[in-house]
Amino acid sequence: MDLAKYAALFVSESREHLQACNQLLLAWERDPEATAPVEGLFRAVHSLKGMAATMGFTPLAELAHRAENLLDAVRGGRLAVKPEHFELLFRSVDELEDGVSRATTGKGLRAEAASLVKALDAAVKRGERGAATRGAKGAKGAEAGEGAKGAESAKAPEGAKDAKDERPSLDVKITVRPDALLRGARALLALRKAEALGAVSRVTPQVSELEREDFDGRLAFRIRTGAAPSEVDAVIRSAGDIAGVAIDLASDEATVDATALRQIRIDLARLDVLMKLAGELVVARNRLVELARGSTDPELVQVGERISRLVGAVQAEVLEARLTPVREVFDRFPRVVRDLARDLGRQVRLEVEGGDIELDRAVLDEVADPLVHLVRNAIDHGIEPPRDRVKAGKTAEGRLRLSASRERNSVAIRVADDGRGIDRSKILAKAKADGLVDAAAETLADDQLLRILSRSGFSTAAVVSGVSGRGVGVDVVMTRIRQLGGAVELVTEAGQGTAFVLRVPLTLAIVRSLLVQVGAERYVVPLNYVSETIEFSATPVTALGDREALVIREQPVPTVHLHRLLNIAGAATAGRRPVLVVQVGERRSALVVDALLGQQEIVVEPFDAPRGMPGWFSGATILADGAPALILDAAALV
Amino acid sequence: MGHTVLVCDDAIFMRTMIADILAAAGYEVIGEAETGAQAVQKYRELKPDLVTMDIVMPDMGGIDAVREICKDDPDAKVLMCSAMGQQALVVEAIQAGAKDFVVKPFQPSRVLEAVQRVLG
Repeated sequence: MDLAKYAALFVSESREHLQACNQLLLAWERDPEATAPVEGLFRAVHSLKGMAATMGFTPLAELAHRAENLLDAVRGGRLAVKPEHFELLFRSVDELEDGVSRATTGKGLRAEAASLVKALDAAVKRGERGAATRGAKGAKGAEAGEGAKGAESAKAPEGAKDAKDERPSLDVKITVRPDALLRGARALLALRKAEALGAVSRVTPQVSELEREDFDGRLAFRIRTGAAPSEVDAVIRSAGDIAGVAIDLASDEATVDATALRQIRIDLARLDVLMKLAGELVVARNRLVELARGSTDPELVQVGERISRLVGAVQAEVLEARLTPVREVFDRFPRVVRDLARDLGRQVRLEVEGGDIELDRAVLDEVADPLVHLVRNAIDHGIEPPRDRVKAGKTAEGRLRLSASRERNSVAIRVADDGRGIDRSKILAKAKADGLVDAAAETLADDQLLRILSRSGFSTAAVVSGVSGRGVGVDVVMTRIRQLGGAVELVTEAGQGTAFVLRVPLTLAIVRSLLVQVGAERYVVPLNYVSETIEFSATPVTALGDREALVIREQPVPTVHLHRLLNIAGAATAGRRPVLVVQVGERRSALVVDALLGQQEIVVEPFDAPRGMPGWFSGATILADGAPALILDAAALV
Repeated sequence: MGHTVLVCDDAIFMRTMIADILAAAGYEVIGEAETGAQAVQKYRELKPDLVTMDIVMPDMGGIDAVREICKDDPDAKVLMCSAMGQQALVVEAIQAGAKDFVVKPFQPSRVLEAVQRVLG
């Protein structure tokens, strides 16, 4: 049998198991009496062992086997779990993770693995000897008591821990009345009601789909509950506007596998190629539509329209296939936070919200690193050591919130801590010394602060927190997010904490944009940042500080005359020129252009700005008529 | 005595209308708020049995207000008042802890049905 063709599958599935292991270990560490995490860990490590052995990766299988032994001893009540066991297991998971990557390149485990194997063995032996002297009474069973609360079972009613697994699973299908308003929201209410009865899984469609206006009113999920089907039915109907509820006892795992077969795994690279092709198709479609518009041949016009619709559908499907819940990235953080907090002597409680929000895989991949930077900063520079916090009248445990939310065409990811905040006066002094701000400036607004922090080379480490050595890396975050066509926002308050908001587009590849003309040049402005278009002459002009501003619904919005900014000669001087109001977060600015040329879907091309080029552009594209154009960076203009 | 209600909406028109519908059915409107921040503050003061909450309001929107209120009191009974086409926002509000919703333009019978469901 040729094993090589299973290697990719082995790697991806092993990583999923190990990711789960990290989550389960964290849950278990929080509540060492819980049994659900131990069971889950045992199963995951066991599966990994089997796969590794099948692939012929013996050292990897061996390490998994030893970890499994330890888990089995705990599970069987032969070993009372201690903090050092968690440490050992965390290290094992790391080693297994590393080993999985190395195994496929033909390498064995690192040298550390051998000592880990010994330590695992020793821990099991020590524990079993201890258990033997204490008598046959299991170390675990007796004391587990009512506090058993596994990670996944947090919502389950208080039933005994063993009974929990015996509760029957019900497959539930709900139909919302067709004449009901906001059917998706109604379906979600029903789901929430059901969640009060037991552990819900396999929700189809995903909760994020319920936001769609074309949701068809049908929702299915599985629930593990002690409640009778009639009870479940009644509770769901209490959400109102429910046309029908069908409840079946879930059949066993066999059927589960049958449904799983309907999904296949696709290599990400293949999706990338598909996406690129769909993008090129869009450009070609745009060209075709332009040609058809100038033609009198009705058949050409008809075919043009049909192709246009089909390309739109293909594009939407490919995009959909690439959407990935941000949970995939968020799930790394409990472990990252735990390790960092331990290393830096902080106490940190991580709160995660919005893991269901979906983003294009490519965007998500790009966001991951900046997020790690920000989380690291929050713990290193933001959250104070427990003693300082208590002295400042705060809880010893700091709070770190990681959340995602959907905003029109973008997703906002927030990293917020309740730490000491960024010291404005120190930054201001340093910025003055470096000549970055006016010597007369008395304070720095949040956006100024962000701009200064994100200058590469601005030495912040010593200034911000007294922790020297590592730079803060805000510039790295800023650059990466801006390259995505996103924006960064900073809010900080002394003593209260700091929040960074990363706004990124849902997808990278295809962007709905407005084409504008300035002088003889054409530029592209991504539509997700355009909040409205108005006319210059029709709007009262005022002054905002030393800048010109337009009064839009009683709010002054500073103007940017693009022909001046971009130094373009021959621009129209006066008259009824169009204005684009762009908005990034709370900040707005009114871009004055010479003409609006219409909307176009553009494919963003990788863009390496020549050195010295002003930072007003985030990328480039090829327009429908084949000419290249630069994409204006909204975030740089507000 | 009827259940107590806090009505939150930035438009006096809507507040009056909701209050009238509820009062006619025997509920006691004990407070009104015109911003999200006010809603949170008044909830703390008045501890009403039910809150009706508009989604779009100045100075903290309805969704953030629900989040705040439910943080203080996970059992808070908040009924969202939304317009057509705000499905995504209502979904967000429910995830934030809202217990039900009604859609404008209001039909009194629909509002009362929802109120009864929430007060269960």
